[in-house]
Amino acid sequence: MGIRVFIADDHPMTRAGLVATLEREADFEIVGTASDGIEAWRIIRETTPDVALVDIRMPGEDGVSLVRRVKDSGLQVGSLMLTSYDAKQYVMASLRAGAKGYILKTASPEELAGAIRTVAKGGIYLDAEISRVVGGQDIVPEALSNREREVLILTSKGLSSKETAGDLFISERTVQTHLASVYDKLGARNKTEAMLLALKYGVMTLEELIE
Amino acid sequence: MKRRLLAVLTFAILLPSVSVLLTAGVGIYQHQRAIQAVARTYVEDLAESTASRVEMGWGLTESLFSAKPPSQFGGNRFFASGVGIPGWIAVLDSQGRVVMSTPGAQILAKLWQPQMPIGQALETKNEEGEAFTVAVYPAGATGLFVIAAVSWKELLGPMLRFGLLWPILVGLVGLAGLVGVYALWKAVISPLKSLEEEVSSLEWGKDLPNPRDEAAVAEIGKLREEFFHLAQTAIDRATLWKRYALDLVRVQEDERSSLARELHDGPLQDVTAMIQRARLAATAGAEEKGKALHLALLEEAAQSAVREIRSLCDELSPPWLELGLAGSLTELAERLSRQLGVKILVEADSGVAEDLSKERILALFRVAQEALHNSARHGGAQEVWVRLFRDGTSLVLELEDFGSGFDVPADLARLRVLGHRGLANMEERMALVGGILEVESTHGKGTRIRARVPAE
Repeated sequence: MGIRVFIADDHPMTRAGLVATLEREADFEIVGTASDGIEAWRIIRETTPDVALVDIRMPGEDGVSLVRRVKDSGLQVGSLMLTSYDAKQYVMASLRAGAKGYILKTASPEELAGAIRTVAKGGIYLDAEISRVVGGQDIVPEALSNREREVLILTSKGLSSKETAGDLFISERTVQTHLASVYDKLGARNKTEAMLLALKYGVMTLEELIE
Repeated sequence: MKRRLLAVLTFAILLPSVSVLLTAGVGIYQHQRAIQAVARTYVEDLAESTASRVEMGWGLTESLFSAKPPSQFGGNRFFASGVGIPGWIAVLDSQGRVVMSTPGAQILAKLWQPQMPIGQALETKNEEGEAFTVAVYPAGATGLFVIAAVSWKELLGPMLRFGLLWPILVGLVGLAGLVGVYALWKAVISPLKSLEEEVSSLEWGKDLPNPRDEAAVAEIGKLREEFFHLAQTAIDRATLWKRYALDLVRVQEDERSSLARELHDGPLQDVTAMIQRARLAATAGAEEKGKALHLALLEEAAQSAVREIRSLCDELSPPWLELGLAGSLTELAERLSRQLGVKILVEADSGVAEDLSKERILALFRVAQEALHNSARHGGAQEVWVRLFRDGTSLVLELEDFGSGFDVPADLARLRVLGHRGLANMEERMALVGGILEVESTHGKGTRIRARVPAE
């Protein structure tokens, strides 16, 4: 059985291009398209696709809200964010909202097909361009301690050091120390990179992030 | 209003003076008339009665004018004393020679004039200008005349003097009143009027009133000075504002031309290349390999255009601002950290800026952007902390660096005119969204900037 794909994008030419690209893949079936967030939500509910390709900026309801709605509904739909923006905060926002992946519109057809297949199988896909920015090559990172993982997860959820410290009953300074150690082990330069790399290396799961 | 004040003042001062003057004048005139009548009756009676005595030949011819003190009833006592009333009596013969007289009556010879009417008192003056009332009576058929006179000066002297002093005093009061009104006009009302005219016709921010009015009283002079300073301040403000506006326009134009240049040098070149490659690919015909090459290059140019346009968008107005302030600050920090080579740490309490309006997010974001650039460029900071937290009823964005610091000017707005727009811009951005900017800096220690907006 093929992968049932839904496409939401407000730009008609992009939409047509995506349909044309994906129709060439034998294992894909396009179950519907929409040009705004509200229409998209209606069709997703009606068709429950395996993968929903969602543009981050749409009239009606934006992509991040739509993805959160899909996640909250409990529908078995994997959301893949498809966008022109390479800002990592979009990736963060998408993943926190429940997206299973993030791919740029400039990605090649092969990359796009690969991303859809990954998400359909329940995996996470991060665009190569973004992955490239976060850590060049695939390495096996040094294992994180439990505390470090806890600090990383809370920080990734968007808590400040003070709040993380409060949650874990440790000092703010200790949080900073743990974070510095996490950055070091993952090869990250900041919180965002640490989170993306942790997801990429499987140090942290999406479920941990959004629970 | 001012004219009316003058009228009221003039009236208030002049009316009593004039009425007192008039009343006193009438009183004095009446008084004078009464005194005159009394004096006339008196001298007429005196002359007549003396004439009767002379006519009757009461044998007083000797005794009457003797220098001896009078002892018996009659004219002698009267004549001898000569002082019962300050007057004189003399008996003259038809040639005008003095036959008899009371002491000191020599004066009568001088007063007497041949053409004087008989039996009727009249006022006359001697050479010194002293006033007298004189009456001449014939003593029957004796051929003698009695002349009697009384001196106004002596009879009425003190009364007269006071009577005359009165109108002078009142006149002086009136005059003083007039002088007062004139001074009031000259030193208060006229300066006020001219000040009012000057101020009302003044073009604020352009003209200056006269700084001084020598004629005015000190208080009005001070008022004028204050107006002068106000007008001066208005001019300063207008000048500042003009330069300010010019600067804004210049910045806008600079930004436009730089944007145009970037569009021209970047995406426009890429799209032109894309068109060329598309044409080449279309005309490549059967040559499959060349066609693929052209298409590959076309895609490459398109990718480059996308990257350039994306970075232009980020520069102009980052689309990721829609992700909220905390996310935007994190993105900004990571980008600037790479770009400027500075460690930037963002600490945002979760959910702290969730309901913030778009305008405020943008304003705070721009403040952070400017401050981070300043810290790296001017402060030479290696590490900057960006904190976002709630402080009571306000939301605070704090940027703390450990750079070189600087002298914080008192008036950030003036900085713009001097060409240092950063801080001025930050302050304006905050003011526009109802916030404030606090800047603290110490040489060698670093700078802390706090942008504060009301929490929503």
